Amino acid sequence: MSERKGIGEGGKTLKRMMEENERLYRETGCYAGITEPHLLKENPVKGELFHSRIMASLIAGRETTRMVSGSPFVREVAELCLGLYTPEGDNIAQSTGIQIHIKLMGDNIQWMINKNYEEEVGINDGDFFIANEPVISGMHAADVYDMLPIFWEGELIGWISTVIMEMDIGAVSPGLMPLANVERGTDGLKFCCERIGSNDRLNRDFEHKIEICLDMSDIFLLDRKGAIASNIRVREEIKRIIGEFGIEYYKRATRELIEEERRSQIVRIRQRMVPGRYRGVVPAEFPMADQPVAWLPAKRDTIRLIPIQMDVLPAGGLVLDFEGVGEWGWHPFNGTPQAVWGGVSIVTVQTLACDGRGNLGSLLPIEVKEPPIDSLLNPSQIKKLATSTPWAPLLDVFGMWTHLLGIAFYLRGFREETFNYRSSAGWQMAGYDQMGTKRPLMAAGTGYFGPGACGVCDGVDCGGWLATPEVDMGSAEVWELFVPHMEMSRRIDPYSVGYGRFRSGLAIPQVVMIHRSQQLVGSGIIGTASDGIIPNLGQFGGYPGGRRNTMLLRYDNLPELMEKRQPLLYEVGHPADLKDRFPGQVFDMGLLAVPTEIYEGDLLVSVSAAAGGLGDPIERDPALITADMDNGLTTEWQASSIYCVKTSYDEKAKQWKVDEAATKELRQSKRKERLARGVPAKDWWQKSRQRLMDRNLDGKILEMYQSSMRLSEAFTREFKDFWALPDDFNL
Amino acid sequence: MSYSKEDLRDLYDGRLPWNKTFEIMSKPKDDDRFDKYVEILQERVSYTERILLPLGDHLNVVQKGGERIVKCDCGHEFGDWRQNWKLNALIFARDDTEKLEEVYPGLKCPDPNLCEVREFYCPGCGSLLMVEAVPVGYPLIFDALPDIDSFYREWLGRPLPDEKEFRDMTYQVTREWGRELE
Repeated sequence: MSERKGIGEGGKTLKRMMEENERLYRETGCYAGITEPHLLKENPVKGELFHSRIMASLIAGRETTRMVSGSPFVREVAELCLGLYTPEGDNIAQSTGIQIHIKLMGDNIQWMINKNYEEEVGINDGDFFIANEPVISGMHAADVYDMLPIFWEGELIGWISTVIMEMDIGAVSPGLMPLANVERGTDGLKFCCERIGSNDRLNRDFEHKIEICLDMSDIFLLDRKGAIASNIRVREEIKRIIGEFGIEYYKRATRELIEEERRSQIVRIRQRMVPGRYRGVVPAEFPMADQPVAWLPAKRDTIRLIPIQMDVLPAGGLVLDFEGVGEWGWHPFNGTPQAVWGGVSIVTVQTLACDGRGNLGSLLPIEVKEPPIDSLLNPSQIKKLATSTPWAPLLDVFGMWTHLLGIAFYLRGFREETFNYRSSAGWQMAGYDQMGTKRPLMAAGTGYFGPGACGVCDGVDCGGWLATPEVDMGSAEVWELFVPHMEMSRRIDPYSVGYGRFRSGLAIPQVVMIHRSQQLVGSGIIGTASDGIIPNLGQFGGYPGGRRNTMLLRYDNLPELMEKRQPLLYEVGHPADLKDRFPGQVFDMGLLAVPTEIYEGDLLVSVSAAAGGLGDPIERDPALITADMDNGLTTEWQASSIYCVKTSYDEKAKQWKVDEAATKELRQSKRKERLARGVPAKDWWQKSRQRLMDRNLDGKILEMYQSSMRLSEAFTREFKDFWALPDDFNL
Repeated sequence: MSYSKEDLRDLYDGRLPWNKTFEIMSKPKDDDRFDKYVEILQERVSYTERILLPLGDHLNVVQKGGERIVKCDCGHEFGDWRQNWKLNALIFARDDTEKLEEVYPGLKCPDPNLCEVREFYCPGCGSLLMVEAVPVGYPLIFDALPDIDSFYREWLGRPLPDEKEFRDMTYQVTREWGRELE
């Protein structure tokens, strides 16, 4: 029986093309079996022009979306990205933006191919498909993928896909990324690679559905139209490129781009790193006990370990292993193996493959060992669970992977490539906006975070967040139009720092005052699972930044203060005395603020903390410290207590000055103090071991270790080996 | 692509002008970096043993006779590179609020019931070599165990004499400590 004629090359089905592609890779170790790439090399100028034209079309497509969209997420902070794919769903090129989704969008295309869409659903020129279901592939439901096939003379020759983070997906309150939810029905609208348009037009029934189901249907539909406009624009440009270069050139060259990048990635690994084993750990905290969930078994606080091991192989590959990760739970923070690949994608394009040529080839030399079944990163019950925020622990995991890569770069001498990332948490709201409309209300600038120190200079202040290489806080005035609040300031917080010879970049806290809403409920939004345990991101003697904070500040008598024209709080200031200074109540909301009614004049405060400093702080150049002090980025207390630098303020010159003799003495004293207070590791080990033997640990910590031990014999063995615990000992 | 040792020295010390630093960051990487890196570090240490591989701001793996050991710039030795060097450091564990607040005051303070911040000092010079923030009871993290022989043999193309087995030997130490307690 002859095979049905497919829409792929030479009448093959897409599924057959995908299977052949996978077979060729297995057999040759080269993408698409290209053992001798030649086309791009034969005429490199032509090859560069070809790649540049594709990149230009993707970046222009992204800007097109920004012009059409009405969402501040898109227009202000550019939470979007575009990718070009082969017929089999393999990424060829990607625009700038939230590149975490590049592999995930390809996974959705491959899911459609595997589910035989070609025959059972139909894939036609001008069709739009939409997806946001993390069970298929994705980070969370707020990220919506719009996919468009590209046809040339009746043959499907590729796909273009756009991802946009939405402001409303109709979830349980607060409506966008609910966290007090545990069951999948509360996630909001989910699309499983559904056709929502044909002949380059959105279906009217889809528009009706959105208009009825979402508070912010206009924003959602404008985002779709923006994505469709960009997809069509890129598709037409690809057709022009094919017209100029020829279809055979296009097919071969796009595959060679992937194979070329695979080879380049191996070269970069071998050039910049050192083979061996690198280890870190992320403890992920999930405070659910006080969350108002209906599925009562979810109401418990848990901590889960996520150990990370990166093996740099002599052959030039990388292996990521999460052996020892704890169990899944009833909360919206469980990850999936596909979501882990999202993290791999975004870190890769910000470290090893940051030259604009990143694609599937950047990922092929990387292996991610499948996390244990029923672990936090691979729950078998994923279809039962809410998946609104798997990325909270995953951002921590990949901030840590950046850290491990940085260690390997440092060992090889490429200190300028060393840094790490940290995310944060804060507030989102649901309620009535200034115009009296009830809807989700989240202002989500991405430029508040403090990345780790670089190996040759301080980190970039408010300049780094893992999920996108292009961080942006957006315009305060636009957010104030969108959300009923006023930004009280945007000031860099010196206490957010990770101390070191080179300090981390500093973060900017968000301090906003609620204004002109008739009714509001605030609740938490988290991009980190770190709270009581700060992340292990100190580098070579540098400290990690401290704890991050989410707070509600309520004035005792705001009208009186305003009547008397008294100053209002606009920055947190010293973290030890805020409660004494603030004329009202200060509520520490922990990592995940429980839903709380908030009122006119309330201050919502989200204080980020930075990633890691690098090197011993008492070796920091005093001139850097006084320069920071002149700019309000370091305090006198930090200078003397942490950096051991004696300073004084020169009123005449309006500058801080260093007392070099006193500084030398302070630093020598610090070394003596360390030698006196440090104990031999063996003494510390015996004391800590006894504490374990006595099970004298917090209940959540004990349960955390038990959870990892239930899933992993290897973790249990190493834990017992390190502490020399008896074989029959159980925590 | 190659940079002078003077430029690399200034780069590592944070003294290179930003435009040159940025150029080094953004351009393709220099193939002779590792050798120049080691030469620069070798000039700065107090000992004469050959540095095989840098391991941190002050630590290097050096060839000492037939052994490869971790050594601080000041000369203090931490033992075989395949054992976690932290087992031979001085440790100061910030495990209560008072000790944590010396670095992380007030709102910045981690929860001492959950978190321990460990500082590792060189017993020779008092340098702070590493800070570890982990859940209470978590084993010392062996951050980097480099496969030195594969590196020299397969990546640099000049194998080291007397190759060593690549394996983690940390638990030999801790098991021995455990036996001493029996």
